Amino acid sequence: MADNPLLEARRVHKTYRFGALGVEVLRGVDLAVHAGEWVAVLGSSGSGKSTLMHLLGGLDRPDAGKGEVRFRGEPISLQPGSALDSYRNRDIGFVFQFYHLLPELSVLENTVLPSLVRGGASGGRTSIRRDAEALLDAFGLAHRLAHRPSQLSGGERQRVAIARALINRPAVLLADEPTGNLDAATGAGILDLLAERHRQGLTVVMVTHDHEVAARATRQIRLVNGTSDASHAP
Amino acid sequence: MYASLVSNRYLTSRLIPVIAVAAVALCVALVITVVSVMSGFLDMLKASGRSIVGDVIVSSGIGGMPYSEELLAELRALPEVAGATPLIDTIGLLRMPYPAGPQKETAHVQVWAVDPASLSAVTDFADDLYWRAPKDAAAAASMAPDDPRRTLDPAILEDGKRLMQSRTNTPGIALGMHVSIGNARQRDGSYLPRYGWFMPGFEVTLTVVPVSGKGKIAEPREQIFPVVNEVQTGLFEVDRNRVYIPLAEGQRLLRLDEAPLYDLTADPDASGNYPIIGRTPARVTKLLLRAKPGCSADALRDRVQETYDAFADRIESDRTRTASMPRFVQVLTWEQQLRDLIVPVEKEREMMRVLFSLIYLVCAGLILSIFWAIVVEKTRDIGILRSVGASRTGVMWIFLRYGLIIGTLGSALGVLLAWGIVTNVNPIHEAIGSDAPLAIRVTAWSIALACMVGLCVTALRRKFLPTLLWTLGTIVSSAAAAGLTLHHGTLIWDPSIYYFSLVPDKVDWWAAGTTAIGGVLFSVIGAAIPAAKAADIDPVEALRYG
Repeated sequence: MADNPLLEARRVHKTYRFGALGVEVLRGVDLAVHAGEWVAVLGSSGSGKSTLMHLLGGLDRPDAGKGEVRFRGEPISLQPGSALDSYRNRDIGFVFQFYHLLPELSVLENTVLPSLVRGGASGGRTSIRRDAEALLDAFGLAHRLAHRPSQLSGGERQRVAIARALINRPAVLLADEPTGNLDAATGAGILDLLAERHRQGLTVVMVTHDHEVAARATRQIRLVNGTSDASHAP
Repeated sequence: MYASLVSNRYLTSRLIPVIAVAAVALCVALVITVVSVMSGFLDMLKASGRSIVGDVIVSSGIGGMPYSEELLAELRALPEVAGATPLIDTIGLLRMPYPAGPQKETAHVQVWAVDPASLSAVTDFADDLYWRAPKDAAAAASMAPDDPRRTLDPAILEDGKRLMQSRTNTPGIALGMHVSIGNARQRDGSYLPRYGWFMPGFEVTLTVVPVSGKGKIAEPREQIFPVVNEVQTGLFEVDRNRVYIPLAEGQRLLRLDEAPLYDLTADPDASGNYPIIGRTPARVTKLLLRAKPGCSADALRDRVQETYDAFADRIESDRTRTASMPRFVQVLTWEQQLRDLIVPVEKEREMMRVLFSLIYLVCAGLILSIFWAIVVEKTRDIGILRSVGASRTGVMWIFLRYGLIIGTLGSALGVLLAWGIVTNVNPIHEAIGSDAPLAIRVTAWSIALACMVGLCVTALRRKFLPTLLWTLGTIVSSAAAAGLTLHHGTLIWDPSIYYFSLVPDKVDWWAAGTTAIGGVLFSVIGAAIPAAKAADIDPVEALRYG
């Protein structure tokens, strides 16, 4: 394992404001994820797992002056919005519990979306399409390219979401309860798919409340009352 | 690239954009249609106005302008002038031949005493003479069976052109088409005699009041004229009031003809007459001029003013002349002369344009509310797009582009729709004005019946939305079918009321262009607020709650 973490949260605090009320969800969380790791972030509902994932993925920022998120040693939480957009597009791939596919777009169109946001690969549209088709073929979805998300099963939707997350070859995959909306067998299939990608060198950070799911990771972090309680996987 | 993909999918996968496009198209089509018809009406009005008075009008007071023939000769010699004619413009009373019996109706009229030959070179006077024999049998066959033109003596047109009844060799009068009650305008713009008063051949008595150069009113003078023809200029105000008589008759009746000049300082002879020392020249009150092609009315007006001033100076300095030219004459272009007629219509057109342009606000409001609803509905999609790296401006551009497409499509369809309506406005108008064919009525009732069946079926299934839609369909289709059955046609642009027999059917492309641009602009404005809201949505909130 390299000394310098790929992705790191340092004493991160996050407070949500509801008018005059403030709810501090994260209270100085520390997390270091090295390249090639599969880290599971465990915790009960409301423990701040998803919030931590949003901060790591650049969708949100820590409270001002209270911690920072670093990617390849660079503090991303201080970057301007456009840099965060680019970070989410090139370096991070998100997988959500409820798939979050655009219902009007086909399987292929959902998959190529991050590449289109990026502005196209060197080979242009054809290359993007070829990459997406290859990815979807590897995920067993070659026969579903023109289908809409509503025409797919839950497992298929999640595989499309993973393909979308991987299309730009990100450094880190952030998965928020990726099996939370699936039955056990389908969920196991999705975890197999993540494991395969992890074997190929992908760094994965997975948020879950399920110990069995977390057991697939190489390392587990537990969030308790907004702070991290790190321990190695059994 | 992704913005086009997403906005295209939003556009093609739902019904709401179709409604928005249809709304923009209807707004644009409505404005273009109204403005085009109004512009066409204005153009027709202007074309008619110029054909009545020529390009430039020189007007003096009631005392008139002497030496008009000399002045006209100089004006006709100008390179800019295609034709010039003198006339006297005054008012009079016209005793009509109707009704039967000793009591007769009298109409107040505008009297134009003209030289018909030169008037026809400056205006469309000869072409505007309505009563003329048909050119051939085919033309006669196309006329109504009771149209008097079918059996007219061809001499009636020549009599009109000369203002002379050839049968009696008597100076004649040509009446504006609506001066008498005898002409009933038909839907096709033709006229049929009403109450049996086909005016050519009848005699009318014209009374005018001479006024001296000092403004003193003299004894009214009257003359009987046979009606030789009637004139349809196309402008109702003109055709309702104006009559034409020969210039010489007008000069004589108004005492503007050539007359002896007496020396009132000398002693009268045994008969009590003063010695004649010369003759005062005949006078006219107006000169009409036609410009040569390529010369504008404004340029001709300036040239005529210069020529007149020089001519008046020359007359003034010539001691042998017995009269002087009036120093103050009005030299106006036809547009200036007919300003009272044209300006209100122009104002009306602009007012209509402004009023109908308020529809843009409706258009923008409609787009805004539709897009607001879409943005609310698509909050989660916005979060997803942000999570894959879409920027705030990228998200905003999706919705702006969406509005731009709706505005462009709607405007293009609106222009197409307006073009279809305006270019076919007369057949459409004719169809509205006629009874619906039996096949259409049967079809309409069949549709209404089908809607009733649909209503009954959905009502039995106790589904609210289909029942409501079928109810609306039943009401609308039944009303349409009943309307088609009971209604026997209404001509909105009734030629017996309006002046032109056909509705203007040329698209005002300038108005179409500006309206289409306005449609696009207001659609984008309507989309801008929801687009900005979309850009401001917090992606975490969008993903969590969307």
